[in-house]
Amino acid sequence: MKFNLKKYRIGYSLLILTIMVSSCKKDLVEKDKGNFVKSNYFTTSTQARTFVNGIYQKLYLFQNGDAYGESPFITLELFAGHATSLGQSVNNGNVIKQITDAVNPGFEDVWSNSYNAISNANIALANIPGIANFADADKKKLLGEVYFLRAFFYYHLVRLYGDVPLITAPVTITSPDLYPSRAATSAVYDQIISDLKAAEASGMAETDATGKVSLGAVRTLLASVYLTTAGYPLQKTANYALAAQEVLPVLSDYTLFDKYDYLHDNAHKNQGELIFQSNYLVGVATNAIPQLTVPFNLLVGAYGDHLGAMIPTNEFVASYEAGDLRTVERQFYFSSYPSYKDGSTIIFGEHALYKYFHLESAAASGQSDENWTFLRLPEAQLIYAEATNEVSGPTQAAYDQVNKIRTRAKLAPLSGLTKDQFRIAIWKERYHELAYEDKAYFDMQRTHMAYVVNSNTFGDPTTTKTEQNIQFKPQYYLWPIPQREISTNSKLTQNTGW
Amino acid sequence: MVLALTNVYAKTYSQVVTLHQKNASVEKVLRSIEKQTGYHFMYDKQDVSKASAINIEVAGVSLQQALDQAFKDQPLTYKIFQETIVVKKKDDVAAAEPADIKISGTVSDTKGALPGVSVRIKGSDLGTQTDVSGKYTLNVPANATLVFSFIGYNTQEVAVGGRTTVNVTMTESQRALSEVVVVGYGTQKRVDLTGSVGSVGSKQLQERPQTNLEQELAGKLAGVNVSTNSGAPGGETKIRIRGYSSINTNTDPLYVVDGVVWTEGGNSINPADIESVDVLKDASSTAIYGTRGANGVILVTTKRGKTGTGTISYDSYVSVSNMAKEIPVLNSKEFMQVEDLSYANIKKYDPVGWAAGNYASRDPKLQRTALIGKLFDQNLQPLYDVDWQKATTRSAVSQNHNVSFTGGTDKMNYGLFLNYADDEGIILNSYLKRYNARLTFDNQIKSWLKVGATLNYNTQDQRTADDGTGGNNIPRMLIEMVPFIPIRYPDGTYGKRTDYPNLEGGDNPVAQANEIEALYKKRIFSGNGYLNINLLPGLDFRSTLGVTTSANYNPHFQSGLVGGSTAGQQYSSASISEANNTFWQWENHLTYNKVFNKVHTINVVLGAEQQNFQQTGFGASTGTLSDNFYQYYNLGAGQVPGIPSSNYDAWQMRSFFGRLNYNYKEKYLLTVTGREDGSSRFGTNVKNGFFPSAAFAWRASQEDFLKDNKTISDLKFRASYGLTGNSEIGEYRSLANISTVNYVFGGAQAIGTQQSTIGNENLSWEKTAEYDLGFSLGLFNNRVNIEADAYLKKTKELLLNAPLPETSGFNSVYKNIGRLQNKGLELTINTQNVKTENFTWNSSFNISFLKNKILQLGASNDDIFLNPTFLSQFNLMRVGLPAGSFYGYKVLGTWGSAEESQASVYGRHPGDLKIQDTNGDGKITSADKVILGKGTPDGYGTFSNTFRYKNIDLGVDLQFNYGNQIMNLTRHSGQDRTGQANSYATVLNAWTPTNQNTSIAEDRPAYVGYQTEIYSTKVENGNFIRGRAATLGYTFPTQMISKIKLSRLRVYFQAQNLFVITKYTGYDPEVSTYNGSSNFTQGIQFYDYPKPRTFLLGLNVSL
Repeated sequence: MKFNLKKYRIGYSLLILTIMVSSCKKDLVEKDKGNFVKSNYFTTSTQARTFVNGIYQKLYLFQNGDAYGESPFITLELFAGHATSLGQSVNNGNVIKQITDAVNPGFEDVWSNSYNAISNANIALANIPGIANFADADKKKLLGEVYFLRAFFYYHLVRLYGDVPLITAPVTITSPDLYPSRAATSAVYDQIISDLKAAEASGMAETDATGKVSLGAVRTLLASVYLTTAGYPLQKTANYALAAQEVLPVLSDYTLFDKYDYLHDNAHKNQGELIFQSNYLVGVATNAIPQLTVPFNLLVGAYGDHLGAMIPTNEFVASYEAGDLRTVERQFYFSSYPSYKDGSTIIFGEHALYKYFHLESAAASGQSDENWTFLRLPEAQLIYAEATNEVSGPTQAAYDQVNKIRTRAKLAPLSGLTKDQFRIAIWKERYHELAYEDKAYFDMQRTHMAYVVNSNTFGDPTTTKTEQNIQFKPQYYLWPIPQREISTNSKLTQNTGW
Repeated sequence: MVLALTNVYAKTYSQVVTLHQKNASVEKVLRSIEKQTGYHFMYDKQDVSKASAINIEVAGVSLQQALDQAFKDQPLTYKIFQETIVVKKKDDVAAAEPADIKISGTVSDTKGALPGVSVRIKGSDLGTQTDVSGKYTLNVPANATLVFSFIGYNTQEVAVGGRTTVNVTMTESQRALSEVVVVGYGTQKRVDLTGSVGSVGSKQLQERPQTNLEQELAGKLAGVNVSTNSGAPGGETKIRIRGYSSINTNTDPLYVVDGVVWTEGGNSINPADIESVDVLKDASSTAIYGTRGANGVILVTTKRGKTGTGTISYDSYVSVSNMAKEIPVLNSKEFMQVEDLSYANIKKYDPVGWAAGNYASRDPKLQRTALIGKLFDQNLQPLYDVDWQKATTRSAVSQNHNVSFTGGTDKMNYGLFLNYADDEGIILNSYLKRYNARLTFDNQIKSWLKVGATLNYNTQDQRTADDGTGGNNIPRMLIEMVPFIPIRYPDGTYGKRTDYPNLEGGDNPVAQANEIEALYKKRIFSGNGYLNINLLPGLDFRSTLGVTTSANYNPHFQSGLVGGSTAGQQYSSASISEANNTFWQWENHLTYNKVFNKVHTINVVLGAEQQNFQQTGFGASTGTLSDNFYQYYNLGAGQVPGIPSSNYDAWQMRSFFGRLNYNYKEKYLLTVTGREDGSSRFGTNVKNGFFPSAAFAWRASQEDFLKDNKTISDLKFRASYGLTGNSEIGEYRSLANISTVNYVFGGAQAIGTQQSTIGNENLSWEKTAEYDLGFSLGLFNNRVNIEADAYLKKTKELLLNAPLPETSGFNSVYKNIGRLQNKGLELTINTQNVKTENFTWNSSFNISFLKNKILQLGASNDDIFLNPTFLSQFNLMRVGLPAGSFYGYKVLGTWGSAEESQASVYGRHPGDLKIQDTNGDGKITSADKVILGKGTPDGYGTFSNTFRYKNIDLGVDLQFNYGNQIMNLTRHSGQDRTGQANSYATVLNAWTPTNQNTSIAEDRPAYVGYQTEIYSTKVENGNFIRGRAATLGYTFPTQMISKIKLSRLRVYFQAQNLFVITKYTGYDPEVSTYNGSSNFTQGIQFYDYPKPRTFLLGLNVSL
């Protein structure tokens, strides 16, 4: 049969056009097969759990580090004034010399990551309750973790930056919270306490060996909040009693390690005296804690960098009482070590933090997965002792707690002190036991006292020079609001002096 | 006399002819056909004069039908050679007159045989034409002189001198005005253009062979700025057409190859495959590409088969490259001297620590004593002094071969194009290899149906040596590796920087080049086919389907010999990442051509297009390989596996477009276009956008008062306006995305999710409105051609990644906010300075002036800083300034000994840098920062000259650029600090009590504190003049090579990057090492791959 192709040419063309136009009818919706979007998330309990895990991930913010030796956990200690930083970081040097400013990226790092965690916590708190087929008890426990985490980040923000925006609901592009004003410090603390009470009532377990939030962590943090609010700037002294009462159950839930080594090894994570840590694992998440704290460019481990960014001053190490086990070589500090390269002994000429030396990574791949400890038993014990003392003077129970720490350090127990003497003794113990664990600067904020190691006394930081010849500028009680935030949100004001 | 009506360099044009002529002369009919088809005629005036008037009435018939009809009763016949139609008397001219001898020969040009060339005996009317193989035979008197003439070529006279074979090579004449250019969805004669379109032909592209198209385009066109930012094989090129029309959105131009959008980048197109490149610059030209047109469109037309007997061509070159410039750094002795001085200066900068003996253990003398025998002799003198720049680079030998086979009949043609390129980098072991095969085919199946297809396969294998910016990479170590540590010790182990205490980690660059294998393997398969149906006279339907798939396989392996402070297996690692892309485009359009009342010509295009892109990717990695043997071939052999990853990415677009060209008497030209685009990339509320444009041109030279002007041979004025869009923000930007992260519970991985973007359902394209005014002027029979354009480009509703208060939990959001302006002038002048039979001299000059300004940013016009943010945020976007301004501190010099008290106000000592206290508040804070420069040039251009003496040609190509600054961040680690790594030799001029007039601070170890920030001392002048290429070529005379059956043979020698005149102190002022990190990275560098100087020997052969 002869078919006249030419005759139907218009027909073919129309057919092609029709096929095309009909194929175009497919909508232009964007589909990402690799990730959820908010509108199709929060439908199962597993998704809820996963989202909460995502908030924990922001705990890593304190260990964000760079090859210059800058990291929030170091910045916090440099503010306290008992560490030097070798390395080549100009920002670290400026913090030590107290000539830093609001553009120092470390200030923004803590701010933005904390608010990111809070934002995700707000999203979780708004969306998880509506998930169907999710047992109420389990849901409540999960939300308890979220409340704790929101409080944890706000607690850091309010101490570091003072009055901060208080946002408790998810922010969208159209919400008024997109450009918030600063809330009063007391309002932020009210929210923190309310969140921690919600966490306390969520039915979570006393302890948790996997690294999740436990009741012990909630209580310790709340006790710390009470202790802090009893001091500057709020000075709600009634909270001392609340602190002591809150932390009491924790003291029996945890036990001190026999060896300080267990504080920084892989075998004892989230156990014994460790109440709350951020968790690491080689292959999943690693940190630069050892690289940042080993002596500058001396090859004591398999690390690519040896940054020496947080080196205790000799004066601080010398401030421990004679015979303190913690000052013995390779307890909290070390001053020599076999070279990783050839085994010859390297003499540092200074004290580095053995507390953060991670044998597993130093001897192997150089990739550190040591955990970072936020809360551990000695802090709970010292909160109890200090708070009790403020309420009722040095009680036996208070002596017992501090003496457990001293006994482990091979020091004579304390006894027969006045309330003032006991307070000073507890403060010193906090400095010595919790050294370089990011507690000292917060202690200076709430007590307005600095440890003057050369004279082994406490003094007003703004009139007393540190061993590094630095006199604290009053503005340094707070960090500046990051310049970027001031520039982006006209409702924000800068802290005095910055 | 033989006349050429016009010189049409045709590529594609309508095949359909409509004629309504009564009592018309033959010439008039031929002109009319020529206008419609793009074919051109040559004929002998005497022959035509014998013809009578023609009456013809045909519509939409083929060319052949029209000609048959026209010459039906005439004493004329015709023959079609490619796009040339030769009209002659029906009786054979060659046999008309008896003659003395019979001669024969071949006429060719640089590309091969030329058919249809008129061969005439001077002083007579006798002559003939060459056949399809370029051959002719003719009986002539022995003392005759032959005149060879052909449209578009310079006429040649050759004395026979008793020879029986006379071969001639024709040289092309200026033909700019008669070109046909490719525009979106069609072609136009250049004379009919209303918009601003720049074109480059294959001949120009081949003048300076490079492995990639973008590098070959450099300097060829005004308004098209090509920066080659790395000396690595294949380079790292950046093309910007008419400035920067976006801040956060991609500003790369759109590539369209043979009508299909090309998603694989200009660097994966083999330049030798290209017939022509047409660059659409103004919005009236680009608006037909709608949301993808705002950055300009580069239309690539690839070579296809040609009608005629088969041709085989072979083009190749071999080149040798060497590092063009070495930067002075400290040698071993100088390093020791600086280190000793630094150490001695500690007591000035940390008197307390010095007194306490804190630094006693860091005394360089102690360190050196401990290394006697290994690095130092008994007198503590260094044993080694390595020049790392020399040690890590080489004389790179590269080669490139292209073979093509083409041929065809009247109805069918084919082409096979093969390419092999091996481009060696000057850094050891780096290379780029490419294998490319392309097959083309076109067939006029029926009188009304034509189909064609192209298949292309491309393989590229690249080994890089400059991955990453900043850390332990090769370009940085070329400068910062210390000279007193050897490449290898006598026992064969590599020297490491950590072999000397106090030095920071970092591997010697030779070790890195040997032990790190970073491979990028790309396999691109693309095919497209078209179908052209002639529906009605003047009405054509065309359907094009194109598919491109690419597989990107990027393995990486690092042996345990590098990466750590010592050699150790734990530093070994391997990874593989892969991305598989599929793109398809289906486009259908109708074209209608019609002439009304003989004076109104219209051309209408209407069409629809669908585009779809999808990517799937995956990656896996491992660390601590149990043995280096495994490389990346067995990731399971690593003891510390990483978390695997995979991704999906897709977008779709659908579009409708139309264009009307109207032409009144060849004098007034009007173009109106519009395109409606729908894209998946935008918010649910805004998926569709409409982009119109209009342009008008006046060909003043067609007016009666200029028609016969002896000076002005062509003059046209153009004006256009258009609106284009930019949708290149990537995918999923409008959504509130939930992304995954990793945490750890109980010593095991725990997956987490976080909301990573805030979501913006109103997200839409940014819109660029562009005005263009231009003219083209041809003088003295087009021996001087001038083309000039002025444009104003305003982008509004910028797709700005606007900063958000971080209290929201998010950093930024893509929003349509802000305005940006680009304005500029472009000027191109082509002249034929000397034109004699044996000697010609042509010049080409182009210059582009550019001004970019930010008009509005966000709601409150806050500053925005783009990446990189090295040292601090300095890449400033601020209203009123050009985008990409450099922001930092001004260094006034150093504090002198006499200024101790003033220095102490700022906590500084004599010998420290003196920073300008701009606001005079007695402290240096970020409020003291000032604008230090900008990365975008004020102007750039090219001046090239071509000389031809007989068969010898010489070309010299100069490139220039001015008005921009370079942010030389390497001064941070190479000059601001000393002792931790090697430094630039400039630190020998550091402050000392006896050398106070310097802006380099006194040497001291970095660990006692030093100053480094974004300083004016890091900002350098980016002006340069480059001797980009000098070429000397020789084309063998046809009569000589025809004996060995060749139609063309040319050899040439070329030097590329011969010299650079600049004040810039780095390797090359055309530089950027942060190419991926933001749009405004030009001139920002932190250790770049050095540029080569290349000498090249090339060969072109055809038979």
